[in-house]
Amino acid sequence: MQRLLYERFASKMYGVCVRYAENTEDANDVMQEGFIKVYRNISKFRGEGSFEGWIRRIFIHTAIEHYRKKIKLFHVTEISENTIEDDRLNALDSLAAKDILKIVNELSPGYKAVFNMHVIEGYSHKEIAEILGITEGTSKSQLARAKAVLKKIIEVRSIKIN
Amino acid sequence: MQNFKEKLFNYETPPPEEIWHHIAGEINNENVVKMRGHKKNKFVFYTVAAAASVVIIFLGSVFLKKNSTPKYSYQNKLDQQNLLLAQETKDSVQLNQLILESIINNPKEKKEIVSQEPDDNIKSKTYLTVADPEGQPVKISPKVATLIISADNGYPPKPIWCKEIRRWQNIMLNSTISPTSANFADLVQLAANKQIMNKD
Repeated sequence: MQRLLYERFASKMYGVCVRYAENTEDANDVMQEGFIKVYRNISKFRGEGSFEGWIRRIFIHTAIEHYRKKIKLFHVTEISENTIEDDRLNALDSLAAKDILKIVNELSPGYKAVFNMHVIEGYSHKEIAEILGITEGTSKSQLARAKAVLKKIIEVRSIKIN
Repeated sequence: MQNFKEKLFNYETPPPEEIWHHIAGEINNENVVKMRGHKKNKFVFYTVAAAASVVIIFLGSVFLKKNSTPKYSYQNKLDQQNLLLAQETKDSVQLNQLILESIINNPKEKKEIVSQEPDDNIKSKTYLTVADPEGQPVKISPKVATLIISADNGYPPKPIWCKEIRRWQNIMLNSTISPTSANFADLVQLAANKQIMNKD
């Protein structure tokens, strides 16, 4: 049963791991730790929501725990996340997932965590603040800075692409 | 066409094969450790419980033997002895009382007893002849019989009777004739002794 569960979700969850991890070794560690947690806590799944969603949340929390020491988020001067135009980010749509991942992985662990949680997973700033132990304002400002960094990367890459 | 958010959300990539081996190894180790620990804990628990039960049963039996059982048997023995003694005394007293009462209250029997005295017809009507504990015939008046019954029952005789008995005893003591169970004073004395014994 454990093997079947692993085979069913391994690829998807490893995709989550590499998005949050800094390198392949860390991704492997998070992957291993995440599945152990799933097996230990599988009896706690109450059938509310999708099983995949439940597993995904475990992996995200595991990744956050893994990087908690590295993720040092400080509240910087408030920058509205709307000041960064998403149109710039939409330029990523034309890229393959693997290439997008390479660009996102250039972000620091803190920026990457907030960006992944808010933009990709759909967590609210309130939820991110609770999980990471920061204020909502800090989460927003970190996201804005993450987008700004990405914009620069895209600009550089777009020059190359073009 | 998917936007970059969906692309990243649905991004899948196969993990290295070695990861599963690590996971499986960790799960198996956990299971083995848990199983061993669980079995050991259970074994220790049942052993301790069994030992505690044996000790409790042993101590309980020793306690019961030392305290309850001897006390019970000893008490039983005493009770039985007292019961038998009381029953014997009661039977004896009741028997004597019945005999005397029947003699006193039954004029016919009185006459029959009296008729056994051929020498003195007048006197024989006023006295009763009964058998003493040694089987000797004893003459007593019905009043003395009443006194004896009173003594047997543990009730003190009337003061006038005490005075009278004391006078008779003095007479007997002052006489040269040794008191035997064949005279009424001796019977009175016996009755008094019995009364004292009953009180003790």
